[in-house]
Amino acid sequence: MIHNTKCECGHQNPTGTVLCESCGKPLVEDLPLDTPLEMRYDGAARRSQKQNPAVIDRVWNFFSSVKIAIWLIILTLIGAAVGTIYPQESTFINLDDPASYYKETYGTSGAIYQALGFSRTYESWWFIGLLVMIGTSLVICSLDRVLPLYKALSKQQVRKHMSFLTRQQTVLETDIAADPEKWVADFGAQLKRKRYRVWTDGTALLAEKNRFSRWGPYINHIGLIVFLLAVLGRSVPAWHMDQYVGIDEHQVKQIPGTDYYIGNDKFTVEYYKDEELPDKLKGTARAKLYQTQATLYACTQYCNDDPLHDPVLKPVESHAIEVNSPLEYKGLKLYQYNFEEKVRLIEVKPMLLDTVSGKSYGPFDLKMSDPAEKSQAGPYTLTLRDVYPDFGLDEEGRPMTKSRDFNNPAFVFRITGPDVDEKGELYIYFPMPSASDKGVQQQINASFKKLGSNTGRFNFQVGKMENVTFSQYTTFLNVRVDRAMPYVWVGAGISMIGLVMGFYWHHRRIWLRIDGGRLTLGAHTNKNTYGIRNETASALAKVGIVVDPKALDNRRNTR
Amino acid sequence: MNHWLDISSTAFQAAFYLYCASFISYAIAVAGKRWSNREPELHNRRWGRIGFALAIAGWVCHLTFFFTRWKGGGHIPTSNMYEFMTFLAMAIVFAFIIVHLIYRNNLLGAFAMPLVVIIVAYAAVFPSEVQPLIPALNNYWLKIHVTTAATGEAFFAVGFAAALVQLLRVIDFSRTDKAGRREQKWVEFVLFFMVIIIGFLVSVFAFRGGGYEAKFQQEKVHIDQQGVEQSVTQTVEYGLPPIVAPYNSEKISMQTYLGIKEPLFDAPAWMNGVNAGRKLNTVIWSLISGAILYALLRLAARKPIAAVIHPHLTDIDPEDLDEISYRAIAIGFPVFTLGALIFAMIWAQIAWSRFWGWDPKEVWALITWLFYSAYLHLRLSRGWQGTRSAWLAVIGFIVVLFTLIGVNLVIAGLHSYAGV
Repeated sequence: MIHNTKCECGHQNPTGTVLCESCGKPLVEDLPLDTPLEMRYDGAARRSQKQNPAVIDRVWNFFSSVKIAIWLIILTLIGAAVGTIYPQESTFINLDDPASYYKETYGTSGAIYQALGFSRTYESWWFIGLLVMIGTSLVICSLDRVLPLYKALSKQQVRKHMSFLTRQQTVLETDIAADPEKWVADFGAQLKRKRYRVWTDGTALLAEKNRFSRWGPYINHIGLIVFLLAVLGRSVPAWHMDQYVGIDEHQVKQIPGTDYYIGNDKFTVEYYKDEELPDKLKGTARAKLYQTQATLYACTQYCNDDPLHDPVLKPVESHAIEVNSPLEYKGLKLYQYNFEEKVRLIEVKPMLLDTVSGKSYGPFDLKMSDPAEKSQAGPYTLTLRDVYPDFGLDEEGRPMTKSRDFNNPAFVFRITGPDVDEKGELYIYFPMPSASDKGVQQQINASFKKLGSNTGRFNFQVGKMENVTFSQYTTFLNVRVDRAMPYVWVGAGISMIGLVMGFYWHHRRIWLRIDGGRLTLGAHTNKNTYGIRNETASALAKVGIVVDPKALDNRRNTR
Repeated sequence: MNHWLDISSTAFQAAFYLYCASFISYAIAVAGKRWSNREPELHNRRWGRIGFALAIAGWVCHLTFFFTRWKGGGHIPTSNMYEFMTFLAMAIVFAFIIVHLIYRNNLLGAFAMPLVVIIVAYAAVFPSEVQPLIPALNNYWLKIHVTTAATGEAFFAVGFAAALVQLLRVIDFSRTDKAGRREQKWVEFVLFFMVIIIGFLVSVFAFRGGGYEAKFQQEKVHIDQQGVEQSVTQTVEYGLPPIVAPYNSEKISMQTYLGIKEPLFDAPAWMNGVNAGRKLNTVIWSLISGAILYALLRLAARKPIAAVIHPHLTDIDPEDLDEISYRAIAIGFPVFTLGALIFAMIWAQIAWSRFWGWDPKEVWALITWLFYSAYLHLRLSRGWQGTRSAWLAVIGFIVVLFTLIGVNLVIAGLHSYAGV
C-alpha cells in the first residue's frame, strides 16, 4: 500500500508519517474523526516503517516494536518467578548430586523442576537470551524513536492545521472580541510567566516547556544498556573473582590465584545479653557482632610455592571485617561470610621432661602445620618421625590420620642426646590437653617401651597457657574482585536520571490560532493531562477567559 | 519497656483510631450525599475535609510512633515485619496525602484509608517488641533502602486504590454478556479477597483476645554447608486453633475448640518456610472467617458488594480515576527503582559481597519492577488505558504484596529475618 505522503500544506512527508511534519494534519486516518489524535513521537515516521524491508530491516522492525518489548518483559518476569519456586542450585555451596537432592527434599515436583533446568534458571541460556533480547530491544526501540522525535521537535511549525488543534486532548474553541495580535501577545506573556517558551506567527502561537523530559525514557534506556553490558562484563574472568577462604585465628593463608595473603588475627563473636533482648527472645543466642580482625599481606618475594624459601610478606592493609564492612584493597574485597567454632592448636612450646633426673629442658617450638624437622631441647635433639594431624587408629589398631586438618594432632619424635642409646628413643606426643589423648599417649609410649624403642624416661609438658597458641574460631571470608562494578553503578545512575527526568517533568505544548475572531486552542502533554488543563485554564483566566479546567478536556466530549 | 516506647505504642493506637475515623468520614462524604436535608456538594466537601484532617492527624501520630520508637529502640523501626508494615502504612498515608493534594477527590480517601487501616491492623498481628539488630541489618542502608522502597510501594498502593475505584465506577451491572459477567465476577472477587484479609484480622484478634494457645514440637531436618544432615527440634506456638499441625510434629498442648481436640491434618513437607504449618493454618482460618463475613455482607445487602458501592461513584469521570492511578504509579516508579533495586543492590554489595544474587526477595522486587515497566509501556499502546490499565494496577499491587509478604511467608531466603 502506497500512501500519498504529500500533505495539503505542500510538505512532503516520509512514508509512515501519521501527522504532517509541518502543519500537523492527520495523514493516516485510522481513528474515528472525533477522537483525540495519537500524538506518539509527534506522528513522525520511524525507521521501522520503511517500505520493502530487507532481512536486516526485518530484524530491526522486530526489535523496534514496543509490543515485542512488552512480551520480552513479560516472559522474563514469568521466567524469573518460576526460578523462585524452589531454591536455586547456586544457593547451596556443596551440592554434589542436585538431582537426588531435589527429589529427596521437594519430592516429584522438585525432581521435575530440577530436570527441566529451572533450578538453574538464572544461568540458563533462555533466561540470559531473554535479557540479551531485552537489551537489543532497548537499543533498537530507542534509536527507532528518538531520532524522528528529535527531528520533529526541533523543527516545529507554529501555525498548525485546524484538525490538529481540535483533535488534541485539551481543546478550547471560543470567540475573541479583542485584537487578535494583541491577545496572542498578552496570552503569550502569561505563558512565559509559567516558564513556557513562546513562539508566535501572526495570530498563531506555540508555547512549549520541559521538552527535555521527552529524553528521559531514552536516557533511562541508555543507563539500562550500560548496566546490562556491565553485568555481561562480569563474565570476563580477569574482571571477576569469587572465592571462599576459611582461616583459623593466627593463621595466614594465601588467597588462591593472587599474590595476597590474608591473616586472621582474631575472630570475635558477640551475642546479645538477656537484658538487651525482649521477653520472647530471652535465652536465645541472637548475634550482635561477627568480626574478623584481618591483615592483608602482599607477597614480595618467593611467592609461587618456592620449596626453598618461605614467601616474604608485607602487611598492606588491616581491617576489622564485619558483615556490612568488608576489607578493601585495590579492587580486592574480603567479606565476612561465615564462622565456625572449633578449637585448633596453632603452636605449642612444650618442655622435655626427664622423669629419671626430674630435670626439664626447653621449651622447644612445635608448630602444628609445618613443624620443624629437628628441634633442640637442652642437650637433646628431637627429630620428627611422624605427624598425624587428625590422630586415629585403623581396624588393626595401627595409628593413622583421619584427615589433613589439625583436629587432634600427634607427633612422633626420635630423641637423641647424652645418655641416650645411639639409635635414639621414640616417643609420641599429643599436644591437645585432653584426658583421653593423654591416655592414648601413655599407652602408645608404653607399647614402644615393650618393643624396646624407648626406656620410658622422657615425657612432654606444656607449662603455662602462654606456651599454647590456639584458635577458637575459623572464619570464612568471601574474596571478591568485581571490576565491572563501577560501570554497573554508572548505568544505574544514568537510568535513574532518565527516570526522574521523564516522570517528574512533563513536556507540555499549547498551540493556538485565531481565525476571524475565533480562537482555536489545542494543548498536548505526554503525561499529566490534568496539569496542563489547569495550567491552560489559569493562563486563560489571566487574559479574561474564565473556563473550568474540566471543560477543556476533549476526551469527555466524545464519550 | 522504656518511656519512649510507651509513648510510641500509645501514638500507634491513636493513629489507628484516627485512620478508622478518617475512613468513616470519607465513607460518609461519598455515601451520604443523597441523605435528606443537605446539599450534596457541600456535604461531600465538608465530610471530605474532616476525613482529610483526620488522616493528617493520624499521620502525625504515626510519625510520633515512628520517631519515638526509633529513639526508644535505638535503631530505625524498619527491621522486622511489624515495623516494616507500620512503616508501609505510614508511607501509604504520605503517598495518599501527596496525590490527594494534587487531585483533591474524596473517593480516593474512601478507598485509600481502609487500605491503610487494614495494613496497620495487619502489622499488629506481628510481635511488636523492639528486637535488637542482627549484624546483617546493622548498617545505615537499612534506613535508606527500606524507607525508599516502601515509599515507592506506597504510591503503587495509592495507584491500586484509584484503579479499584475506577473498576467499580465503570462496572456495568446491566450487562449480561460473557465479558460483562466476567468483569463483574472479577471485581467482586477483588472485594472478596479484601474481605478475606479482614476475616484474617478478625480471627487473629478474636482468638488473641480470648487467649487461645496451642503448642507443637516440630522436628526439622536440613542439610548444613558441610553436607551433613542436621535435625533441629523447635516449639511452634499457635494463636489460632490448629486445623493443620506443622509437618513432622508432636502435639504438646492444645485447647479444645468446637469440641475438636486434635488437628485435622498435617502440613505438607514441601512447605519449608519458617513456621509454614502455622501459616497454612492461618490461611485456612482466614478463608473460613472471610467467607462467613462475606456471606453475612451479601445477606444484608442482597446483591454483590460491588453493586452496593457502584452507585456512589457517579460524580467522578473514569478518565480522572485513570489519570490518578497512572500518576500515582508514575510518581512511585522512580522511587521504587531507586529504593527497591538500586539502593538494594548497593547494600547487597556491601553486606553480601554481590549486588545481585537472585535471592527470592530480590527476584520479586525485579518482577514487581518488570511488571510496572510493562504497565508503563502498555499505556503507550492504544486500547490499554482505562479499564485494562486499571486491572494492571490492581494486579501490580498484588505482586507488590506478594513481594513484601508472600515471599517471606512462602519462600525462605536471605530476607527471612523479616518473617513472622
